[in-house]
Amino acid sequence: MTQTRSAADDLVRLLGPDRVFHDEATREAYARDATPLFHRRPDVVVTPASTAEVAEVVRYAAETGTPIVPRGAGSSLCAGAVALAGGISLVLTKMDAILEVSRPELLAVVQPGVTTIALDEAAGAQGLMFAPDPGSRTVSTIGGNIATCAGGLRGLKYGVTRNYVLGLEAVLGTGEVIRTGGRLVKDVAGYDLTRLFTGSEGTLAVITEATVGLLPRPAAAGYGLAYFGDLAGASTAVDAIVGAGILPATLEFLDNTCIRAVEDFAVLGLDVTAGALLLFGDDGDPATVERTVARMAEVCSSVPSCREVTLAADVAAADALLAARRCSLPALARLGTLTLLEDVSVPRPRMPEAVARIADIAARYGITMGTFGHAGDGNLHPTAVVDADDPAAVEAAHSAFAEVFRLAIDLGGTISGEHGIGAAKLPYLGARLGETHLGVLRRVKAAFDPAGILNPGKLGS
Amino acid sequence: MTFTPDLLSRCISCGFCLPACPTYELTKDERSSPRGRIALMRALETGTLPMNDPGVAEESSFCLGCRACEVVCPAGVEYGQLLEEWRDATWRGRRRPVVVRALLRAVDRTWKVRLLGLFRRHARRRTGGSASLMLGCFERFLYPKVSRSAVALDPRLDVDPGQGCCGALHAHNGELAEGRALARKLGERLPGTIVTTSGGCAAHLADVLGRDRVVELSAWLSGPASAAGAALPGPAGPILVDGRPARIGLQDSCHLRNGLGVWREPRAILAALGEYVEVPGAASCCGAAGTYALVRPEDSAKVVAPKVDALRRLDLDILVTVNPGCTRQLQTAVRKAGLRTRVVHLAELAASARTDGSGR
Repeated sequence: MTQTRSAADDLVRLLGPDRVFHDEATREAYARDATPLFHRRPDVVVTPASTAEVAEVVRYAAETGTPIVPRGAGSSLCAGAVALAGGISLVLTKMDAILEVSRPELLAVVQPGVTTIALDEAAGAQGLMFAPDPGSRTVSTIGGNIATCAGGLRGLKYGVTRNYVLGLEAVLGTGEVIRTGGRLVKDVAGYDLTRLFTGSEGTLAVITEATVGLLPRPAAAGYGLAYFGDLAGASTAVDAIVGAGILPATLEFLDNTCIRAVEDFAVLGLDVTAGALLLFGDDGDPATVERTVARMAEVCSSVPSCREVTLAADVAAADALLAARRCSLPALARLGTLTLLEDVSVPRPRMPEAVARIADIAARYGITMGTFGHAGDGNLHPTAVVDADDPAAVEAAHSAFAEVFRLAIDLGGTISGEHGIGAAKLPYLGARLGETHLGVLRRVKAAFDPAGILNPGKLGS
Repeated sequence: MTFTPDLLSRCISCGFCLPACPTYELTKDERSSPRGRIALMRALETGTLPMNDPGVAEESSFCLGCRACEVVCPAGVEYGQLLEEWRDATWRGRRRPVVVRALLRAVDRTWKVRLLGLFRRHARRRTGGSASLMLGCFERFLYPKVSRSAVALDPRLDVDPGQGCCGALHAHNGELAEGRALARKLGERLPGTIVTTSGGCAAHLADVLGRDRVVELSAWLSGPASAAGAALPGPAGPILVDGRPARIGLQDSCHLRNGLGVWREPRAILAALGEYVEVPGAASCCGAAGTYALVRPEDSAKVVAPKVDALRRLDLDILVTVNPGCTRQLQTAVRKAGLRTRVVHLAELAASARTDGSGR
């Protein structure tokens, strides 16, 4: 407690009382992010308003060896924003200015606390868009998106956050401020630190400003829905769609467990006997979208196990189709009191096998697990729902997921496609990368953060 | 046990509620977000924070209770219910704001509520109809014309002047049992359908008596009234201002919209009365929030400020409310800002449009 007080007192001296909080209620509110089962109160919460203030806090932390955990909206799904070693929760939501949107240069310059949707809306006002669309875009911040290299529902066509970060301003673990990249499409001067910081989960530097690429905003979007007897059928359809030279914005699937959970919850009239549901869609100019969606429907119909294909006639119908995908997680969550959402990714051709074997694993451990995900890019979200008060069930879910991670790696995939490693998946990182690779990560971290204060106990630790 | 366990465990901490929360918008502080407040409730439940923690007490009071978080919650957390349980547990004795204590005592007995309305010309005509008009406690005193307008719109509505308070005030301010008891008592006093002119009362009554017993006035006029056989006269035509249809906006009632899902109905009625203009942020709280404007006037003013800016830009002729607290809050805010926009309850505007088309 004296420790807490003195760190807080020191920080108040540096930044003033309006930026530093250490009352019990504030510390409790920042004790978790969106990851279940990870909880620790930071000793002090700091809300800087400028890069200079961030640098001051980091310098102080480096001098005193105080852990410092950067945080945006706290929507992390890998406990990346939980201060598991105590110390400072560095909350960047007050640095939320959109400094510039340049239509001729197709870029925006923003502070890290800007929400993803606010950036996209600002771009939209000039006929542009910010392409990455993580599921939490209404709340997540750009700083957090970059720190975790967030993905989203249209990765196949548009890629992920890393494809849109042009330049960064960041505070290193020493308190030094550096700028990487800039307003350039081409720039090979030096190592690509912009990409290194993207997905570094706050372990190398604190991002204080970002220059991000924008795209012309598509004029229209269209969607359709197809049912298959099994996921292998849906997967065949996806392969056939991409094989036909179509690169659609949306290819999302639900397995039978998800279809039933969604139908029970939302009563959308879904076919609960289907083995898989595929939501397909594209964006672009209206004529192209109409043609592409029609072609995708045709390809789906030609797959032998396809049962039915529906096209959305208008925006309302499209929303109804999208609702099925959007409410998968909450629909599953209502089946129990603890929802564990995972994020493995496999090469697309291995997806049917992955989903079938994930179902086997769940059955073997006797837990309810539904899988939905981004069929276009092979990113799967197996989701276990258990009773939080049943330690055996929670343990079974963890064991099942350990097997799921091994399975993903065996299939040439990875343990996290877009949610990150954080504290939640660090125990499995060695299996994915190997000792040599882990050693390199540690040496990289030491170069940027010699005192080891930035988000300790996570990547590079 | 302070909280219903199923309600607390439903929150998956995803944070989707943050952008919907007016107090988080003011502070950008997790502590004053719905997710942060649920974290505090969990800490109270497990005993890792004491009931008298000053930060916890501050947050239970700072929350508007607007329930905007509920409609964006993918997991279906019933935050309004949790807040009622929270205040019920922590706003005990001297920890309850003095103003709130006084207000609750003023309307906790039927005779006191009747006294409030005694010298005010609120509606009091018995028709023996199957649907009763709820008079509200403070509404009958502050805005008696609202109930007169409601019966002018649907003359079949039965008005029992002996009715008491619905208890919403109590339920929202730490007297959950009393609030529910008052609602049940009102439900016995007014058998059949209860039509209300207050969104806050409607949501509370529906919660206790069941959704099928309670209909808010705009929803009543949009459907059940005609189904019940009321011969409602149509509007005489659009309300005219300087020879053109009046530009009319709406402020939603939070509990009506977020609790009962009623928001299309008042808009449809206003679209028939003039040129309907959607006010940006109409769905978000105006800062009245029951007793909030009295207990926390400074925060209430901060919440209403962006609304006043929007109204200044729109320069509306009329801004319509569907809850008496909102009427008072916006009348005050509009007057202070020196705007020409007239703030009036939907019942009054609709009734006047039918009589002389003046909107007065």
